[in-house]
Amino acid sequence: MLTIHLSIVVFLPLAAALLAALLPARVGRWLVVGAMAGVLGYAIAMIADYEAGTAGLKYVTDDNWISELGVRYQLGVDGLNLFLIALTALLWVPSTLWGAARISERPKLFLFHMALAETAVLGAFCAQDLALFVVFFDLMLVPFYFLVGQWGGGDRVRATTKLLIYTLVGSLLMLAGAIALGVLSAGGGDISFSFAVLEQRTLGEGTQQWIFCLFAAAFLVKAPLFPFHGWVVDTYRATPTPVLVVLSAVVSKVGVYGFLRIVLPILPDASAYFQDLMLVLAVFSILYGSVLAFSQEEPRLVVAYSSIAQLGFIVLGIFSLTDLGSQGALMQMVNHGLVVAPLFFIIAALSARAAGPATLEQMGGMALRAPVLAALFLVVTFATLAMPGSPNFVGEILILFGAFDDKFVYGAVGILGVVLAAVYMLRIFQRSMHNRAGPGVKPAELGSLELAAILPVAAVVVALGVYPQLVLDRTERATTTKVAPALTAAGASDSEISEAK
Amino acid sequence: MLKSYLPALVFLVLGVGVGVAFTFANSLLGPKRPSKVKSEPYESGLPSDVRKSFRFGVSFYLVAMLFILFDIEVVFLYPIAVRLEEVGTFALIETVVFIVLLAIAFVHVWRRGALEWK
Amino acid sequence: MIELAQVVQAPKIDYQGLAPLFSTIGGSLAVLMIGLFRGRFVQRTLVPAVAALALLVAMGMTIANWEAGDSRPIIEGALAIDTLALFMSMLFYVTGLATVALSLRSDVQREVGAGEYMALLLGAISGMVVLAGAENMVTLFVGFELLSIPLYVLSAGYVRRAHSLEAGLKYLVVGSVGSATLLYGLALLYGATGSTDFRAMAIAIGDTVAVTDPLLLTGVALAATGLAFKASVAPFHQWTPDVYEGAPTPITSFMAVATKVAAFAVTLRLFDYALSDAQVQWGPALAALATVTIVIGNAGAIAQSSLKRMLAWSGVAQAGYLLAGVVVGTQLGLQATAFYLAAYLFMNVAAFAVVIACERVSEHGDGIESLRDLGRASPLLAWPMTIAMLALAGFPATAGFIGKFYLIEAVVAGDYAWLGIVIVVGSMISLVYYLRVIAVMWMGRFEVELPSFPPRRVKAVAGRSPEADARAQPEVASVAILAAAATIFFGIVPSPLFDLVSDVGTSFGGLV
Repeated sequence: MLTIHLSIVVFLPLAAALLAALLPARVGRWLVVGAMAGVLGYAIAMIADYEAGTAGLKYVTDDNWISELGVRYQLGVDGLNLFLIALTALLWVPSTLWGAARISERPKLFLFHMALAETAVLGAFCAQDLALFVVFFDLMLVPFYFLVGQWGGGDRVRATTKLLIYTLVGSLLMLAGAIALGVLSAGGGDISFSFAVLEQRTLGEGTQQWIFCLFAAAFLVKAPLFPFHGWVVDTYRATPTPVLVVLSAVVSKVGVYGFLRIVLPILPDASAYFQDLMLVLAVFSILYGSVLAFSQEEPRLVVAYSSIAQLGFIVLGIFSLTDLGSQGALMQMVNHGLVVAPLFFIIAALSARAAGPATLEQMGGMALRAPVLAALFLVVTFATLAMPGSPNFVGEILILFGAFDDKFVYGAVGILGVVLAAVYMLRIFQRSMHNRAGPGVKPAELGSLELAAILPVAAVVVALGVYPQLVLDRTERATTTKVAPALTAAGASDSEISEAK
Repeated sequence: MLKSYLPALVFLVLGVGVGVAFTFANSLLGPKRPSKVKSEPYESGLPSDVRKSFRFGVSFYLVAMLFILFDIEVVFLYPIAVRLEEVGTFALIETVVFIVLLAIAFVHVWRRGALEWK
Repeated sequence: MIELAQVVQAPKIDYQGLAPLFSTIGGSLAVLMIGLFRGRFVQRTLVPAVAALALLVAMGMTIANWEAGDSRPIIEGALAIDTLALFMSMLFYVTGLATVALSLRSDVQREVGAGEYMALLLGAISGMVVLAGAENMVTLFVGFELLSIPLYVLSAGYVRRAHSLEAGLKYLVVGSVGSATLLYGLALLYGATGSTDFRAMAIAIGDTVAVTDPLLLTGVALAATGLAFKASVAPFHQWTPDVYEGAPTPITSFMAVATKVAAFAVTLRLFDYALSDAQVQWGPALAALATVTIVIGNAGAIAQSSLKRMLAWSGVAQAGYLLAGVVVGTQLGLQATAFYLAAYLFMNVAAFAVVIACERVSEHGDGIESLRDLGRASPLLAWPMTIAMLALAGFPATAGFIGKFYLIEAVVAGDYAWLGIVIVVGSMISLVYYLRVIAVMWMGRFEVELPSFPPRRVKAVAGRSPEADARAQPEVASVAILAAAATIFFGIVPSPLFDLVSDVGTSFGGLV
């Protein structure tokens, strides 16, 4: 077993960026990208080191941070966050590279915000203390606010303000919920926010329920799910490509990760109580996202709405409250991140070749002239629509199994979502690659930067499709233990109902 | 508890009532023979020079304020003078401090030109 | 005769405990005298230096007096020192030093006269120190007036500007109403408890006088109202934006920070110590007041285009958060309020310093437009402002976040969980106006009224040399940077501040 200091992993990007601020921009940008590559190296080492079937936390860092408030600086890795950390590390490298190469306006500041964002996201994934999680979760917003507001296109200030207000409203409610959770579960004793301690403590059902609502507000906005997605369109339009990649692929996962890490194990009774509501939201998101994705003219928005649908799937898996469902959800979190990132890079490449505004109208007929682009696009498209042989297939099938296990109706609607995904993804692929080339389209092969950004991620998608056990074996124990309390609670309430009948 | 305030209330009502009553009684009962000379302000028998738009120079207020300030503060010295022997050196030191403060204020006022008539 | 002599017996005085006060009052008199001499050196350098020296000496003596535990009398039955008083005093001195630095280049000093200006400032600080250490309602009122009267004068510092005079007059009138209300309340409290001494009051309440006694409760209500005027707690806040806007900006920043700290220092002592047994009675009332303040303050700030007015309204909202810490009447609440006051100091000083730096060079004065593209023109000023705004909004990695966390924890633990939600909702509303400031500095064209206005690529600002601007007022920039650095530092490593605050928590022996 390796000794890995998670603090180094988390703060390496930020430290490099602070150092780079003192160096000339040309040297500094390689320092930052190098640090991110270092984080990726750490992540790969962790996966290699992590034995399948392990339970419990590894590489734990546990120090006092604010003892007066009962807040500890506690980091750790288990099956639940291992691959999400790896996903973060993997996707930040091409995004930052892309940004470093393409952004000429205030490049050092851009790199600083990217690095701060990576640190915050890694911190949120690694945190094993609720207060620390909240800190990183909120901190995450700051760099994205600047990244969208300063380097975005179109109506960027409006978009970024909307993004921040939407997500921070959720986050602040979660802050209140987290403090209430820590204080009320202590029952006058020592206040603690450590996940391990909170899982042991019990709360009354009514208290659980209102705290659940506060957490759900944060996570559903972040994801986003159907009625909480008001920020999506503006943000996806205005955000610069490298930022959008990590925003959509990684940051949205922090929300759903919060359900698995915090809500299910710590608020099991409330999770069982709100199960149906959450499933309804999930199913609505699947349908709503799929239908709207089909009718969009801008490829970015197609992916935006498809993300809503995909996150609906993930929530469906989590709130099926079964082992299979949650494992599928975790798998799908990784998968969605892996396919969305190359999709956005490809869309950026297409837009650069399109004539005029980046709509499907202005694209088309590129497959022949740019076969590598087309091939990569096809791989990603197939993965998105969950072709057998892709990792998404494994994820979605597990989610659906989980849903069918107990909640048949929701599973049935979920299948409809899979079918719709095929429709909208094939539509965007066809219209951009096959149709007759629009006037002014410059069909050129991928440049080296574009290739460097897209190819490695696409390769990981293929590899996971071949060998999904890599993820499944290492996550199984963790998801099972996290779902267990809620599963028991749901079973108990079901049996109560049947007894009453 | 509140009952003990009742006499105070009675006193208040009586006091106000009597005052108001006498004021009005005066203006109702007394004879009124106003004339122009009578309603003029009295100024040593000379015709009044005061007009509506007359304003005091702001220096009047300044001097008046300073007078009140220093005059009243000096009054505080009397009780200490009467009891000085009983209270001892502490009071003496206090008094000196007090006078020094007054002196500083006086120097300030003087150097800033507040005592010059402008 | 002998009995009488005993009555006027000299009080026991702890001169070491009183030393900081001697330093500020002595400094005040010294600068008044030095200021009488003309000459550039005296007016521009010597007077501020002496004022700063007096504050530094007071700080040193305060540190020497620091000792956790119950309060120790320094003038029998009138003044006491405990860690609460000392902690608050430190905040006054720090604010005072910042104000001295911010005033260095201000033309208000020339208009009032450097000596008078600094003497009034030090006088106000002395009043605050007395207020924070008051053990007795009479001392409380003396301190209250000693703090208020110099500020009335200072807010009218621009003697030739109607705006500033209006601010001074308004502050005088409203402040007098507040003082009168407070005095009336204190009189009724004396009537109810039969003592002006806080300790005796605390003993009397619940013992010789019932907590539901109407006279007591009327007294509490009136005293709370009087203090609410000073702390600009809604609905007694209407003067705040006008006075803050009209007053010279260094004085505004001093009022925004130090006056609020002083008002909360005395509120804590009066409510959590003297009246703590009646908490069940005043708790809900203050909670309602806090709620109203949070909502009104945040709502009022949204529509402001002047930075000073915006910060005034935001100060109203922050007073609401602080009041929430008083409501619960617990040791945790006391500590949380003290912590938030310190955080509040750093955030606001940073923000006001930037406002001062920008209004001096901008044609927009203190309008939000004066910050346009500051991120490009002068990052050394833009970063402190950004940090201050994020901290005021309660973002993590700033002292503002930890402070809010602490406050919410205190109110939840004190059975006021709903007040925690109110704080959170207030923070949400506040995002609208704090973020607007950040957007103006960093994100180019930004139209509030026309959100769909097409954004323009940012251009270099003509006629504005960032380095020259920053160099022209290094003291202002350094105040901003230091305050912002402290905001970040205590947001990441809060333990030094927590150690102090937990000492503060021991001030009132009986508090749980």
